[in-house]
Amino acid sequence: MTGNPLQRHLNLLDYALAGLWRHRLKNGAVLAVFTFVIFLLASFQLLTGALESSAEQLLVFAPHITLQRLLAGRQVPVPEERINELTAMFGVSTVRPRIWGYYFDHVNGANYTVLGLTAEEIAALPVTTLAAGAWPAAGESGQVVVSQAVRQSLGLGERRSFTLFRPDLSQASFQISGQFSSDTNIVTGDLLLMGLADARHLFAMPAAMVTDIAIEVANPVEIENVAEKITARFPDCRVLTRAQIRKTYQVVFGWRSGFGSVCLLAALASFVILASDKASGLSQEEKREIGILKFIGFQTSDILTLRFWESGVVAGLAFGCGLTLAYLHVAFFDGSLFTPILLGWSVLRPELHLTPGLHLPDLLLIFSCSVLPYLAATIIPAWRSAVIRADTVI
Amino acid sequence: MTIELQEVCKVYNHGLANEVTALRAVSLTIAAGSMVCLRGPSGSGKSTLLAIIGCVFPPTSGRAVIGGQQISRLPDHFLGRCRREMIGFIFQRFNVLPQLTVLENITLPLLPLGIAPKHRLQRAMPLLAKLGLEHRRDFPAGQISGGELQRVAIARALINDPPFLLADEPTAHLDTQRSLEFMQIAG
Repeated sequence: MTGNPLQRHLNLLDYALAGLWRHRLKNGAVLAVFTFVIFLLASFQLLTGALESSAEQLLVFAPHITLQRLLAGRQVPVPEERINELTAMFGVSTVRPRIWGYYFDHVNGANYTVLGLTAEEIAALPVTTLAAGAWPAAGESGQVVVSQAVRQSLGLGERRSFTLFRPDLSQASFQISGQFSSDTNIVTGDLLLMGLADARHLFAMPAAMVTDIAIEVANPVEIENVAEKITARFPDCRVLTRAQIRKTYQVVFGWRSGFGSVCLLAALASFVILASDKASGLSQEEKREIGILKFIGFQTSDILTLRFWESGVVAGLAFGCGLTLAYLHVAFFDGSLFTPILLGWSVLRPELHLTPGLHLPDLLLIFSCSVLPYLAATIIPAWRSAVIRADTVI
Repeated sequence: MTIELQEVCKVYNHGLANEVTALRAVSLTIAAGSMVCLRGPSGSGKSTLLAIIGCVFPPTSGRAVIGGQQISRLPDHFLGRCRREMIGFIFQRFNVLPQLTVLENITLPLLPLGIAPKHRLQRAMPLLAKLGLEHRRDFPAGQISGGELQRVAIARALINDPPFLLADEPTAHLDTQRSLEFMQIAG
């Protein structure tokens, strides 16, 4: 009389699906809430991954080593003359001065990042970073590359010229030579890129002083060794390698994502308790149905399997829908719900175009934080319903 | 295949203040192929006796052998298996699931046995024909008449081709004509 065990599961799955459809209002509500919770969790996870990935792509253009001088733990200008010493060090291939600072625009209430590079370094930048125009030409002063967001913030419209206040309240004039591509918005969203002399002029920095020095190493394997040598040679300086900057990005995004995830896990815990409570409260009709099923030959294991399939289908559907919605949220809406939390509430928010990556560890993490607790929460109610005695229907 | 009961007793709420003795030292033997009718006043223990014969629960004491299987000491899991393999049960109030169709109700006992839908249909069709339910096959059970409901309950009890068919006051809710029809079908 006993048939195929697989067919038994298919039969019970079929019955479970029919049961879910019969109670579609109740199950639909659980599905909707569960989908929303998974959507929130998955959005956070996918957004963090996409931001880390974006940061990783941009780090390719960062120097191997960045040197900054500290005084009383604060960053101070570093003399350009150190470049000669650095260039002479074994393993160092290129050394370039940079001015990296921040400019607060009182008029528009926005904070811009100002980056001044040498003409050679600007010339070496990839053209793909530009959406329009050209890099500031060597020998031309007052040329700058900005993002669309900066243009909007400055209220330039179609104009290409603007002025910024220097510390002594005199004005520095600039001409926009190019515009950054929106692909690099995570870093260039608030950036004004200009020649080294223009940046020095804007910040009124003393001649032959820069904020940091960018160092390239001939053999990338030797970056850490060269960094150690530089640290030993210039003990008053902070030496940052690309790996350290990458780690900082990861820590910042990871910390913020973790904080957000913990908040969302509380929401998930509430949902799981609600789901467990909902599954525990069997109606008279449901009890009678189980009694009849037990009477006509369903075993406790059959009822448990039925309940497992019901929970599994709800959890699986919620996982699929939640994950898909989260992917769409990150891919097409740039994770707009959570971007402020992960990037910080800056005045000039970068416009992002993120591509979320679906990685197995991320999927497993979301699965274990959502589906498994739900299934675990429904096991005890399922067991309670499965042990209803057959004689309840007599 | 026989049913043998020896000195069977059933006490509900054993040892409690509300203890009720439903059966006291009942012994009987029912041979294969025979049809036995139990009669008695309300509360005399007919349903309890049927439940023991139907492997719903074991007796409190005594020996019950159903189809060669001593069920007196069997745990619930094995009782369920005996019930599935040997018993077809028709309830007084039919106990049909109203939200399922007639066909789904009839083939319900075959689901945990792993019988494919095609084979379930093959088994159900002759019963539907015999009981005159073919035209109601896809109707929800909640939308058919009392007589038809009872025939659904009969078909469900017979779908496993069980050696024993038990019916608890099967004609209590039927008129004379339907009662006669039931006796013909069950016989």
